[in-house]
Amino acid sequence: MLTYITRRFLQGIAVLLAVSMICFFIFQFMGDPVVRMAGLYATFEEQAEVRRVFGLDRPIHERYVRFVWNALQGNFGKSYVSRVPALNLILERFPATFELAVCALCIAFTSGLGLGVLVSLKPYALRNRFIMALSLGGISLPTFLTGILLIMIFSVFWNILPSFGRGDAVQLGFWRTGLLTQDGLKHLILPSLTLASYQLAVLLRLTRAGMREVLTQEYIKTAWAKGLPPRIVVLKHALRNVMIPVVTITGLQFGELLAFSIVTETIYQWPGMGNLLLTSIYENDQPVIVTYIMLAAAIIITLNMVVDILYALLNPKIRYD
Amino acid sequence: MKKTLSILLAMAVLLLAGQVWAQSSIVVAQDDSPRMMNPHGDDSDAGLQYFANFFDGLLQRKGPDGVLAPALAVKWERQDALNWKFWLRKGVTFHNGNPFTAEDVKFTFERLSNPEVSEFVNAGKSIDSITIHDDYTLTIKTKEPIPWFINNLHQTFIMDKEDTTARDPGDVMVRPMGTGAYKFVEWVKGSYVKMEANENYWEGAPPIKNVEIRPITESSTRFAALVSGQVGMLTGVPVELYDQIKKNNQLEIVSRPARRSIFLALANTPGTPMADMRVRQAIYMAINEDEIIEKVMRGQASPAAQIPDQPTIGYVADLKRLPYNPDKAKQLLKEAGYEKGFAITLSGPNDRYIQDAKIIEAVAKYLAKIGITVTLDAKPKSIFFPEVNQGKLAFYLIGWFDGTFDMGRTYAKLAHSRDKERGFGELNGAGYSDSAIDGLIESTAVMLDAKAREKALQDLNKMAMVDKIIWIPLHYQMDVYAVRKDSKLAFQPRPDRWMVYKELSLK
Repeated sequence: MLTYITRRFLQGIAVLLAVSMICFFIFQFMGDPVVRMAGLYATFEEQAEVRRVFGLDRPIHERYVRFVWNALQGNFGKSYVSRVPALNLILERFPATFELAVCALCIAFTSGLGLGVLVSLKPYALRNRFIMALSLGGISLPTFLTGILLIMIFSVFWNILPSFGRGDAVQLGFWRTGLLTQDGLKHLILPSLTLASYQLAVLLRLTRAGMREVLTQEYIKTAWAKGLPPRIVVLKHALRNVMIPVVTITGLQFGELLAFSIVTETIYQWPGMGNLLLTSIYENDQPVIVTYIMLAAAIIITLNMVVDILYALLNPKIRYD
Repeated sequence: MKKTLSILLAMAVLLLAGQVWAQSSIVVAQDDSPRMMNPHGDDSDAGLQYFANFFDGLLQRKGPDGVLAPALAVKWERQDALNWKFWLRKGVTFHNGNPFTAEDVKFTFERLSNPEVSEFVNAGKSIDSITIHDDYTLTIKTKEPIPWFINNLHQTFIMDKEDTTARDPGDVMVRPMGTGAYKFVEWVKGSYVKMEANENYWEGAPPIKNVEIRPITESSTRFAALVSGQVGMLTGVPVELYDQIKKNNQLEIVSRPARRSIFLALANTPGTPMADMRVRQAIYMAINEDEIIEKVMRGQASPAAQIPDQPTIGYVADLKRLPYNPDKAKQLLKEAGYEKGFAITLSGPNDRYIQDAKIIEAVAKYLAKIGITVTLDAKPKSIFFPEVNQGKLAFYLIGWFDGTFDMGRTYAKLAHSRDKERGFGELNGAGYSDSAIDGLIESTAVMLDAKAREKALQDLNKMAMVDKIIWIPLHYQMDVYAVRKDSKLAFQPRPDRWMVYKELSLK
């Protein structure tokens, strides 16, 4: 297990290096940030000075090596746009995104799993067909449309839920949480539903497919024949065997929710990392973009590793050595 | 009993106070978010409008006309071509209680030339020296004569020297400390900016006591926030939502012609078709601007015959657009020897101006009708503007307005031949070059007599628009705001589109 983790860790570092290298490569085509940084009315000479001050006159490979060297010491450079450290700028936004992702994942996981099991027991009942049809909608509707529809219904027509922002948030040390106030929770409902809708549908369909397969197997028939109560048969014998793919997908999804909730955050003006990334791309704020991409890659790599370890716990037959 | 009574009374007072507080509070959804709270770090109007509430300049521009008025300086005088003397306002304090003196002014103007904290490097570097005579008088000497020097001082916000040097530079970026009408309360990035009235403001305390600004960049979300009553007003009504807001009887539209004009810039490189005046006229006449305004801008624009707007020095009242006439345009092309037309690339940003990419699409279609094949090249502003700066383009759409209300600077940057040595033509993206235009631009910079200079700028403008067609003007944008009627806000938009909350009040 230990050698496995070490190997994955080293692979992770290689991925991070590759990701940051690709970012630097792409930056060459993203336009020259100096024009904006020097100001609208700067002369060519003044632009050249700004370029020197920020080290942008150096060749790209030299800048990359310097970036990696500084990053190793925890310094990801300063944002061109707000002139404060890029990492702080992102971490400041992390709690908002994390809370949104966790809420969305809780909704997706519990409802997806629950409905999936329910549907698999009587696949042809009218109610279950209806649920399946809805889940198809969840998969095929793009997030921005789901978001705008929810805002239209709950904020504009009924005016019962807020359409944007995080509401009242409470500062606990470095963590700013919206989970402790009623207003904050109200603001969470629509965005987390929007973010969860796709994942919920995926988990539902995955659970249903797995359950239907497992339920036809011999040992389940034996379990029914033994006269075990349905609860034990369904939850203990059947569901446990379906859990492996479900947990994998959930784990991977969590990383995605965390790193790429950009669309949902933009629609709801959620003050999270995704929103920041989008603004930074518009403004060509290269230090923030590369730091964000690296952070996202690091999160996804870590979550993959956690999922692998969870496997071993869920199914003792899996060995990594 | 007495105690209970006094508690009840205190509660009643509090309740009343609470109501007064609630009445003079507003929540506004703005379409642009602040990048920082360092007043020199962002030279865009989107950023400056935030600083204008926390800080004051030596001068200010008063809405709704944008007239230059005294602020931290009570009087000023141009002593000769280079020297500007200022008499400062006495008894003004920063929000932390520090007195405002000439030292702060000197510190501010010197800070401008440091690229690490300033986007006003150009303004900073144009200053030769600053001499303090006493606490409340000083002289600023510029390196070259700058006729518009004073016109731009409403954008240079005065910082507290003592406070700025004592604080961590990172903290200065996020917490403003000025003399302005509002004190900074809190900025949660991506969420809101809160501010409260400065009761000791030198111009008198502003009528609205608490302002909460919600930057919402997504236009449909901004609209939903207004309709559901979460905000009292919004800036930047997108053209596609205009009709919906107009229909809603809880909402009121407030609009005014924007200062920004949208126009096409064309190269005149010798040997290319566009070096021929007849071709330039043909392109101008082929574009049906009225239709662009009606269909693409949905009526939210007015046609332009020149780049400056009416209050700008250099504006010529009697300029007319060339009439829309595709037949004449075809004939002109024929005379110029391009009967079969030619091919050209039309560039432009797609995330900068209202309907920018749609406008160039429309232009491409009009030009196709007279035989010119246009390849469209719309791209994000972060790529487009560096290309303008490098002078790589031949034909492109751009928008402009000059915060100085003076065309001198704009012409030097946008119309003068590109000249690295002398610092001209940095934003002349098509590399347009004409010695007569260059000569006129240079001559206006050293004119001290305001009347003569205005006349010269008008001549320049006429020559550029009529004789040379260095640009093809399209339209002036419209700034559109929406206000909830129940918010009781009295609001008059400013020409520069800044939201300066001391100018707002409740009905």
